[in-house]
Amino acid sequence: MKMSRRTLLSSSVIAALYGATRPSMALASSGQTPWRNWSGALMCHPVARVSPTTEAELAEFFANSSGPVRPVGSGHSFSPLVPTDGHLVVLDQMTGLLKHDADALTATFAAGTRLGDIGNVLNNIDQAMFNLPDIDRQTLAGAASTGTHGTGIDFKSLSGYVTQLRLISPAGEQLDITPADKDLFNAARVSVGALGVITEMTLQNRSPYRLKQSSWIMKTNEALSQFDQQAANHRHFELFPLTHSDYSIALATDETDEPINNPTASPEEEAAFDDAMRGWMLVPPEQRKPLVNGLAEMIEPSSRVDVSHRILANVRNNRFNEMEYSVPISAGAECLQEVLRTIEQKRIDVVFPLEYRYVAPDDTWLSMSSGDEGHAAISIHRIATEDYRPYFDVIEPIFWKYHGRPHWGKVHSLEATELLALYPEFGRFQALREKLDPQGRMLNDHLRKLFGVNL
Amino acid sequence: MNKRLALLIVIVVMVFGIAGCGGSDQSQGVEPNLLEESPLEEGPDSVRVARLWSQSCALCHVSGVAGAPRSGNADDWAARLATGKPLLLKHTIEGYNNMPPLGYCMACTEADFSALIDLMAGGVTK
Repeated sequence: MKMSRRTLLSSSVIAALYGATRPSMALASSGQTPWRNWSGALMCHPVARVSPTTEAELAEFFANSSGPVRPVGSGHSFSPLVPTDGHLVVLDQMTGLLKHDADALTATFAAGTRLGDIGNVLNNIDQAMFNLPDIDRQTLAGAASTGTHGTGIDFKSLSGYVTQLRLISPAGEQLDITPADKDLFNAARVSVGALGVITEMTLQNRSPYRLKQSSWIMKTNEALSQFDQQAANHRHFELFPLTHSDYSIALATDETDEPINNPTASPEEEAAFDDAMRGWMLVPPEQRKPLVNGLAEMIEPSSRVDVSHRILANVRNNRFNEMEYSVPISAGAECLQEVLRTIEQKRIDVVFPLEYRYVAPDDTWLSMSSGDEGHAAISIHRIATEDYRPYFDVIEPIFWKYHGRPHWGKVHSLEATELLALYPEFGRFQALREKLDPQGRMLNDHLRKLFGVNL
Repeated sequence: MNKRLALLIVIVVMVFGIAGCGGSDQSQGVEPNLLEESPLEEGPDSVRVARLWSQSCALCHVSGVAGAPRSGNADDWAARLATGKPLLLKHTIEGYNNMPPLGYCMACTEADFSALIDLMAGGVTK
């Protein structure tokens, strides 16, 4: 049977087996359309949505309005960063390349530009992004300002490649923020929409390049024992550990001059994997390991070559909710093994693979890899139609045990007290936030808890 | 000019980049910045629908990725049209199977979604 990591991760069988039904919600025929996030787990009824086309319009809105404001990109955050009963600022009309510098290899995009729309545009001006997160349907500002990252021990979070940004403060002031602004620059690049609304970002890029991505199956313990070496040998290296199994899918990515060869999975491949999955997914978790291992051993190595942005990001067909924490690299393998062991021991009925990646340190105050050491990012997922809380509630304390930092856009339950201990500059961010937004207009209930605000 | 024909021309122009992308010029002729729910029977203007389609719906409804019915493909839409507009709108706003709630269109109103469904289905739904 031929199947690949891509067919495994994009298979529709997982959703199909779980019925893919959601509780019914009566639709009002009038009034504001409710907002929901990508997974459907979060919903709100903003008093109005504001969709500015220019910074002047946005500044005017701030000056002439009152009450809570939250910005939204493509709604990909699983944590409640967006929900508000105030105004929702939508950046759909602020998109596209604004300017570029061919010598410095920088390009400035409007904040609402989707990551997936950047690659071809950059290619046309002989530039390419250094790295991309796994999914590219987020907006540039949404992804960067939540600390979203890709894979690679030498690669920072997306925010680490932002060289300049423009922010409209809650006072309606336009702030052009550069490295010369030091504190504000280090705070604003990962600021979860708490300092105002980002309207454009300038990215440091490089010349276009191709990547070859190879995937293969290997024992998880073996993969972890050689992870540092593999991470050093490849431009990108990551693991997708299979739950209730001894195996992981390894993914190595390197620059290449080979011709483009990136065929889509054939219907036969998809069907073969679906058939296999249906078998072991219906078996109780405690009896599943032999079947999952058997399936894993049938996965053939595969590779593909394409321009960088088509390799680094993927389309995820199945909607899910996700929790992701980063722990110091020195603790990464032990933490991941404890998570996998707990899933097995507690017989947690989860089929979605985990994800294990390294991220380079950066100088933003609130990124998951803020500081002097690289971090290992560990993700757990639950199909969107299932209640993720029982699973995530069991696993989250394991991340805390290893001093894990949460991804701002993903499910977590930490609040200001705990976050102060995890981020050396968290207190400075709190002070800067209060200075820029003394009335707390950019806050919702979730952000008040994050930043310890009692407004 | 037939309203649907005019809309298709606008979309072709946008998709092929004839109108350019990014920059402040893009804002000319679009909706006011404060979105209001408009009565369904009036519907949004064609430039707005074209832009919303190309920015959001086209991500999946051109290639048919994740089982999305392809824009303009009658076979893909036939069974869905049979369920009626209210259910299609409900699925669009709440999300359905692999389609995320709001279909990646955070700016879309219910009237926008109605017009976008009509556009992609190739005919006015009931």
